[in-house]
Amino acid sequence: MIDPVELLAYLATAIIAAPLLLVLILGSLAIIGTIPSERCTTRLVQGLIGISFLATVAATGIMILYGIPRKSVILSDWIILGHDYHFVLKILLDPLSIVFALLTFVLCTTIGSFVSRYMHKEPGFYRFFVLFAIFVLGMLAASLADTIETLFFGWELVGLSSALLIAFFQERPAPARSALWVWVIYRFADAALLLAAVTLHHMTGEGDFDRLLGTASWPSSSGIPHTGSASFLVGLLLIVAAAGKSGLVPFSGWLPRAMEGPTPSSAVFYGALSVHLGVFLLLRMGPFLSESWGLTIIVLVIGISTAFFASLASSVQTDIKSVLAFASLAQVGLIVTEIGCGLRWLPLFHLVGHACLRTLQFLRAPSMLQDHQKIENAIGGTGPGSLSGWFPARYAPWIYRLAFDRGSLDDMLWKGICRPVISLLEWFNRLDEQWMRFLGGEDAPDDLPITRITADTLNAAISSAPSFDDTRQ
Amino acid sequence: MASIPHSLSASCEPLPNLTAHTAIPASRENLRLAIETASRAIPSQGPIGVFVFENPLLALEHLQFHEALAESERFFGCDSYFPESRYRAEIAKGRIRLEKLRYILNDELGDRAQEVVGGLTTRLDLRLAMLQYPLMTGSKSELAWHMAENRVLKHPGTDASAAFRTQLTAETRHWMLRDLRGSAAPFWAKELLQRHESHRWGGSHPEQWNLARWETVAIEVLWKVCLEGVGPLPSFEKPSPLPIRHRDLLLRAGGPDCDLIVNEILIRFTSAFLDQGLSRWPLPSRERGFLRSFLDLYSQHAGPVAIAGLTEAARELSVRESGALDLIQESLTVLAVPPEEQGDYLTATLLSLRGWAGMVHYLETKAGRVSCPVPLGSFEEFLAVRLLLDRLALQSALPDVPIERAAQVLRERLPAALPQDTESRAYIVFQLAQILGWIPSRLFKLKPAEWEQLVREIETFTSHDRRRVFQKAYEGRLLRQSLDALNLHRTPLLDHLGPETSPPTTRPAKPMFQSVFCIDAREESFRRHLEESCPEAETFGAAGFFGVPMHYRGATSAHFAALCPIVVTPRNWVTEIPVAHGRKSHHQRARLRRSWGWLSRSLHLSSRHLLPGAMYATFLGGLAAIPMVARVLFPRLTGSLTRTAARATEAPATQLELLRDEHQPAGPEHRQLGFTLDEMTEIAERSLRDIGIVGRFSDLVIFLGHGSECQNNPHESAYHCGACSGGQGGPNARALALMLNNPLVRQRLAARDLDIPATTWFVGGQHNTATDEISLFDEEQIPPTHHESFRNAVHSLEVASGRNAQERCRRFYSAALSLSPNQALRHVQGRATDMAQTRPEYGNATNCMCVVGRRIRTRGLFLDRRSFLQSYDPWTDPDGKILARILSAVVLVCKGINLQYYFSAVDPGGWGAGTKLPHNVVSLIGVMDGATSDLRIGLPWQGVEVHEPVRLTMIVETTPEIMAGIIANFRAVGRLFDNGWVQLAILDPSSSNILTYKEGKFSPYEPLQESLPSARTSADWYRGWREHLEFATIEGPGT
Repeated sequence: MIDPVELLAYLATAIIAAPLLLVLILGSLAIIGTIPSERCTTRLVQGLIGISFLATVAATGIMILYGIPRKSVILSDWIILGHDYHFVLKILLDPLSIVFALLTFVLCTTIGSFVSRYMHKEPGFYRFFVLFAIFVLGMLAASLADTIETLFFGWELVGLSSALLIAFFQERPAPARSALWVWVIYRFADAALLLAAVTLHHMTGEGDFDRLLGTASWPSSSGIPHTGSASFLVGLLLIVAAAGKSGLVPFSGWLPRAMEGPTPSSAVFYGALSVHLGVFLLLRMGPFLSESWGLTIIVLVIGISTAFFASLASSVQTDIKSVLAFASLAQVGLIVTEIGCGLRWLPLFHLVGHACLRTLQFLRAPSMLQDHQKIENAIGGTGPGSLSGWFPARYAPWIYRLAFDRGSLDDMLWKGICRPVISLLEWFNRLDEQWMRFLGGEDAPDDLPITRITADTLNAAISSAPSFDDTRQ
Repeated sequence: MASIPHSLSASCEPLPNLTAHTAIPASRENLRLAIETASRAIPSQGPIGVFVFENPLLALEHLQFHEALAESERFFGCDSYFPESRYRAEIAKGRIRLEKLRYILNDELGDRAQEVVGGLTTRLDLRLAMLQYPLMTGSKSELAWHMAENRVLKHPGTDASAAFRTQLTAETRHWMLRDLRGSAAPFWAKELLQRHESHRWGGSHPEQWNLARWETVAIEVLWKVCLEGVGPLPSFEKPSPLPIRHRDLLLRAGGPDCDLIVNEILIRFTSAFLDQGLSRWPLPSRERGFLRSFLDLYSQHAGPVAIAGLTEAARELSVRESGALDLIQESLTVLAVPPEEQGDYLTATLLSLRGWAGMVHYLETKAGRVSCPVPLGSFEEFLAVRLLLDRLALQSALPDVPIERAAQVLRERLPAALPQDTESRAYIVFQLAQILGWIPSRLFKLKPAEWEQLVREIETFTSHDRRRVFQKAYEGRLLRQSLDALNLHRTPLLDHLGPETSPPTTRPAKPMFQSVFCIDAREESFRRHLEESCPEAETFGAAGFFGVPMHYRGATSAHFAALCPIVVTPRNWVTEIPVAHGRKSHHQRARLRRSWGWLSRSLHLSSRHLLPGAMYATFLGGLAAIPMVARVLFPRLTGSLTRTAARATEAPATQLELLRDEHQPAGPEHRQLGFTLDEMTEIAERSLRDIGIVGRFSDLVIFLGHGSECQNNPHESAYHCGACSGGQGGPNARALALMLNNPLVRQRLAARDLDIPATTWFVGGQHNTATDEISLFDEEQIPPTHHESFRNAVHSLEVASGRNAQERCRRFYSAALSLSPNQALRHVQGRATDMAQTRPEYGNATNCMCVVGRRIRTRGLFLDRRSFLQSYDPWTDPDGKILARILSAVVLVCKGINLQYYFSAVDPGGWGAGTKLPHNVVSLIGVMDGATSDLRIGLPWQGVEVHEPVRLTMIVETTPEIMAGIIANFRAVGRLFDNGWVQLAILDPSSSNILTYKEGKFSPYEPLQESLPSARTSADWYRGWREHLEFATIEGPGT
């Protein structure tokens, strides 16, 4: 009889190893240039994700059967410096991580099956599944992570595959532009997470979550009391990372841009999984965040403002994917608010239900016309709603405009953050040029007229547009 | 995009005075006229819910087909032929033949074909070589990489013949040793020899070099000679005209793309303005019109705007209250567009967002088609807003330039055009020399004038010209196959083609039953299978609204829909109502439907609201996983469950309210519904005479309309009946059958010399082209005497359904080729219920011809679902009146379908809607790619991938005199033949002779083949093959 705890360790390894193997197989086949047939690709994906899924189910069964509330498994010691400074890849099986992993499986297998027919004969069929495999691996690594470095590993894979899937139709400029924008926001969030990891290591010498959350099982774990500004900083950085990933205010502008990819990828990533990953992080860190009033208030403010902003925006969107994206975001805001209130199980239920619901709605987004017709036929004509029922007539146009422009969040980010950074870099560049000219000791030739006009007009255009000028039609 | 020739849109027919248009819109009237003209250049397409097939180049139909394509490539920026690589692949497959290319070139060049170019080769051979071989070209550095990577200067290319290789080495060796070693030798030759003499491994002296070394030397010499020859030549490229819009100038000058920010604002605003009920809150002050509501919205101070100065401008303009025309004029003045360019400027501006502009125009001019109509003048206001945004965006991109001088400044700042690389020009000659066997010593002796002639000849045979020749050959092959098929197809009946043999002697005097289908190419196979499974049956084809134009409202629908071709405006309204004994259950079911509707609507809405959405997601959201997983993993099972559930709420037995009192005007109200007896008689007579069924009725005549069914597909209506404006044709078939069964109508018909035997009974029905199911209406009214023949007919139809499904499945890669008819039926039904399926069916893809004539001319002919079939009996129509009225509908409808497919197939991303995968339903009127893009009009790639883009060939069974009369008198049809948008051939009614029509003349056609291939049954012919099939004779199982 095998020791259940030992078995659990094997199973936990299998959960991560199967999708990792899938990524390696698909990736290396692509690199050596033998693209397998659609059927073969689908089988491979289904088989390996299936193994991972079965391992998760088995692990869940064992934990319930033997009453093991929590099990963490060390996959590898990456770096160990001295006694108390190490980077470890470690995964954790507990109710939260298992629920999130199971959700990932349900949605991803459904989408995988959907895509195998939906994208039949599409030139990028194989590319989609390579990115899809990376995404699944990233989601599993992030949801099962027990150290901040494991989380970062998954977090990066999810971000990378998401951005590449937005740019899936790489022959058109608009998807590339949108993907770049999303990528920039993601990198910002990633930087926050990385800083949090560094700070955490600086504080404790390791990135293990139990240093922040204690060793009790989620949700009964209680965060360790904060010891000063460093732990506040870690919390703050984690909140920024989560906000960027989940499109919370003020990062919401990327969400509609993410709809450039194929419908099913929008469904699973922005409707269901990617957008909840930030929330998951907050949920995981909930006990730690609750220890500090400051952090709790920040979470509440972000959550409430996202919920209100997104539900306003969703009311005025005229294309179905943006409507769903903002409706989704409104619920995400609400879930964050629930977390901020110190709740644990409710937000988890809310999250799971919401993810399933949105995936279905996104997959059925092309049916919008037919659905609308059916409903109209069943109940006769349906008049549109009205704004004035909700707000005083005087403010209605203003509110509408605010929602219509999606709060101009992108413009604000651009003017408030990107522009100053770019100016700073340009200032350094000019300094550098002057220095070179000084060293050269002579009047360097003027810029070519073409480069001058580019620089001028770029400045002008960049200051007014959150768009990237290197990809042109 | 290059500049837009305004003349092009200006010469559109309905505006005859436009050719006299002075192009200086000094006054308001002129400006309005210029806008009107510009609006015609935009391909217009209506809301996607009623997909209408039309030629996207409608504005250019006054030009010859290929001329129009050349024009369109210039000003729409879309390809109007396949890329060359695709055509070369077709050569490799044998689909395009070299003889055909040679024939086309000879035909195009005439006497010039055999002229010798540069003293080297004939023009014909030169062009043929350029067609046949892919010639690599590129910039200098690209070529340098390519030549090094592929060791181009080491050996002759693979396209060179063995004879040429031998000759090249031998002659070059001799030439070099003899002529190129003295002091008079050119510099490059000395350098080359020197380099090879001091080579690391080779022998030191040229006389000791082996053949391999000489081959390398020879090929290098060839390259040098080409470089030397081409070097001093002037450029033969036409300089591309300067762009006309400021945005294009700015882009060329290296600036940012202003359209990005302008489009983003304009797309979102236009979609809000046109919204038919997708968003929860409508645009405030929408009723004030496009311009006013835009200004109202952007006068609000609510956060930064992407375009600087927009808020201030909007505030100022809303105070000023100036109209759209004034604003357009003002923008043109501010932008300093010279008066003579204004027309072109407006066209170019509108084309930059052509989908949306076209939709605004369409909804404004055809206001009745949507529930939230668009007020008149919106199109002008759209243009006014566009120009306003354009000019503000331009100003913010060029803050230091006064805007009226912007165009001038930008033109000055344009980078100078780079001279053509000598390398890239020489490389083409280099490749051709190897293909055509020009040895270096010969090229070396060419005089400068000969070089010039050669290179000019090569460079003026552009890619566009080459693709045109390819396309002609591609199309010509299919044209010949079609004509051969009609010419060579012989059935036993064909020996008796005269009028006295109708009905022909070899057939039972009275067919077992007759059925009338839509002319749709999809019904060709169904009719063939029906005739194969029941040889005693007879089939006909007619436009699928069966001559009954009406506004129709089904028992379970909320609104009327027009069921007739888009060019017809119906004058009658018809509703479907429950029969008397079914009223009670009808009301119950209506209540059930209503509660279901409320429930799904509230779930739908609440999921989008904040708090109800939270409740819904938390408590019911998890349950959404069940239908989702079920629908995705088990589509067929879920589909049949949904169907069963839907059946419970369907209307019970129904009838049509068809008869109207003579004294009531027609209208949508209760007593105004239906047709009067006279109207019915008129319709009935016309429909029967058109298809030539008169005088030979069997006991049972079935009319079958058609519609389609699919899930999760905004383009569903593109699969419905084209003759019913993207609606389902069943109700029309049903209405016609009811009219014909009416004894009073029959009485009146008899008075008009059209006797319908008392034993004949008509039944209406519908063919579902996705699932291949047949549903028949009003079965309970069939008299008992007809029950047996009805049962037999239904059985034959069922057999035909299965076989038809089997034939369709050969095209679907996800269906095995070995499916039996029953398995095939299950497969196609599964496709229709699968929400992940992007190809429920292929619609009219692969259509290429239309036969107007008696069925005996095509019966037993395997046409591979590629032909529209309209029944017409020339012997009942001596003066061609019936033919004229048939053609004026059929040609326009089939041309629209054919050309929509043509353009969507040659450039799926440009003319078509691109791939379906990122489509996003917007405003309930169309789809975009992703969150903001131009409205995607045309057909999606998944619907056209199997299509072979060729023009429609009309084959009409008639005499040249009658046809010439129709061409002369019905110009709407005639000019399509004259300008080659539709190709025409006529089939002699009493023999199998064919005349083709070209440039106003009929000339006899000689078939290319001796005989058609034949097979015992259709299945024997299509079995095991996924690609297109040749036309063949099906002998029938009996023989």
